Amino acid sequence: MKRFIAAALGAVATIAISASFANAETFKIGLSNGWVGSEWRTQMIDEAKEAAAKWKEKGVDVEVSVQSANVDVPGQIAQVRNFIAEGVNAIIINPNSPTAFDPIFAQAKEAGILVIATDAEVSSPDAIYVGIDQTAWGAAGAKWLADTLGGKGKVVAINGVAGHPANEMRVAGYKSVFKDYPDIQVVNEVNANWDQAQGQQAMQNILATYPDINGVVVQDGMAAGAWKSIMDAGKTGQIAATGEIRKDFIDLWVKDKLNSGATVNPPGVMASALNVAVLMLQGKELKEPATAGQYKNAMYLPIPFIDSKNLADAAKQLDGKPGYYSYTNALSIDDATALFK
Amino acid sequence: MTSTTTDMRTSGAGGLRSWLERYPFLPALVIVVALLALNGLFSPNSLSFRSLTGLLSTYMALIMLAIAQTYVVSAGDIDLSAGATLSLVNVAIVVLMERWGGGAGAVLLALALGVLIGLACGLVNGLVVAALRLQAIVATFATSIFFIGLALYVMPVAGTPAPALFWHTYGGRLLGLPFVFYVLAALAVLLYLLSRTRIVTELLAVGDDQQAAYQTGLPVVAVRIRGYLLSGLFSALAAFCLTGDTASGDPLVGGKMTLYSVAAVVLGGSALAGGWTTVVGSLLGALTIGLVNSLVFFMGTPSEWQNFVQGLAILLVLMAGVLAGRRARV
Repeated sequence: MKRFIAAALGAVATIAISASFANAETFKIGLSNGWVGSEWRTQMIDEAKEAAAKWKEKGVDVEVSVQSANVDVPGQIAQVRNFIAEGVNAIIINPNSPTAFDPIFAQAKEAGILVIATDAEVSSPDAIYVGIDQTAWGAAGAKWLADTLGGKGKVVAINGVAGHPANEMRVAGYKSVFKDYPDIQVVNEVNANWDQAQGQQAMQNILATYPDINGVVVQDGMAAGAWKSIMDAGKTGQIAATGEIRKDFIDLWVKDKLNSGATVNPPGVMASALNVAVLMLQGKELKEPATAGQYKNAMYLPIPFIDSKNLADAAKQLDGKPGYYSYTNALSIDDATALFK
Repeated sequence: MTSTTTDMRTSGAGGLRSWLERYPFLPALVIVVALLALNGLFSPNSLSFRSLTGLLSTYMALIMLAIAQTYVVSAGDIDLSAGATLSLVNVAIVVLMERWGGGAGAVLLALALGVLIGLACGLVNGLVVAALRLQAIVATFATSIFFIGLALYVMPVAGTPAPALFWHTYGGRLLGLPFVFYVLAALAVLLYLLSRTRIVTELLAVGDDQQAAYQTGLPVVAVRIRGYLLSGLFSALAAFCLTGDTASGDPLVGGKMTLYSVAAVVLGGSALAGGWTTVVGSLLGALTIGLVNSLVFFMGTPSEWQNFVQGLAILLVLMAGVLAGRRARV
């Protein structure tokens, strides 16, 4: 009899527990990052974790599981395999290669897992991309520069890693803009591998070779290096150059009144992707299906732009943050919900 | 099959030592088994047949690359262009397969050309290192930049898909068994056949003492070039496996893999100074890297510590292996 009561109580408890589980939705989301060379990536993951925690208020339990390490492409494929073995509901990945994940994403989809790439587009038809359009990113900076220069002048470009998809798209972006400005002459393009020191050195060389340039298109952290060379050469007032979004640079920009404009690739993209993922896991459907971009699987997020008009606001957002902290922006849960039916 | 210096040592130094002499990959094997057990402990699912097949098919490329590295390391050389060769072969075969229509004939012809490209890269390395006598570490670093340049010329940005026939075969099953097991079996046969040839013995002799090898009449330059040819060949095979697992071409894909291949060689129990190497150990070393990465995650390491713990774990494994190996050699 005693045993029967114990069993009955046990059964009741089990039912109660499973009932409470049914009330709160629980999703397990794996975040995969294959490169940890910059604070931007760390901030990206931290913001995604914060976004997951915010779902608690909406009664949704989002459990994130993170794999973030410097790995080669097979290493990141293994990360995805680990998530599949762990049985996550969704995987959000900042991929090391645009194309190499097609077969493994197909396996993830077979296992019923939602896959979202962010920051860099992927070719897989089994995944969607939630992030910014790198081509538009490159175009926005070029447009600012062309307009700032009044549509004429000599311009140089300092690019990232040759052959890297995001770099190639950004290059295509600025080229498409300069095509419409016949009096803007791109006199040289160099690769500085998204490295601040290399950017600084490249700019030094450029200033020595072309003392009369008017503008510079430069990406991300290399901008801080390029600007250092411009300032060292005493040409701060004569050259307009694109900037970047870390607090250190924004502070410098405010202090020395640089003639700069920065397209923002916000580290919040992964948080945005996470919010989209949760809504998709809830079975909601996008108002506009993700079909943009060269792979027809992209959902592009708005790209913020910082120039003299809103520089003060940007500086305010970063007030009190560490120097490496990037200006950011992400879809809130409500923003994301508005994109769904 | 690995050491040329065996006979110089006195016998009767204990059972363990003689075992390690005959099978220098034993420490690496013990480590792989231990890592598998730990992975299984933290995530039972990771030992499922499906997961293990996945591990093998993803790390087969690194296994091949580590074996490529082992042959040059045998002769006391190093190949920092192994990853770049892999990238070049990867983009070349993907472009060729696509251009020729993606049928079975196209795939086989492209693979044959891929082997030739790998051998050509090896020949270039061999010539600059052995014939021109440039320092291997710097010379192959330079050729790696050259090969990546070629890869970027062949395919300026990652993207072209490999024909479905190719990657469905690699990722699929044949007679009920995953295809990657056949790859492993073929690799075992190939390694066995190579170990029966003079090439490996000569490489080890050169690595052990180049001067002595020269004085005994070995054509040292030719031997070292053969080592680089083997490295090129296995880098090409690595590219085939990588293409099978990623189904696409990416001119930058191999860059990060070079140093992992060197790490795998050392983790497997080979001496970077040459003269003492084990291809089976390198195979296990590559798996060790994969298993360490997974274990760090399955243990629930916080993301900001994962890189640190991964590096630390590899360092510990390295120390364990080196200590065991040293006991066998001294």
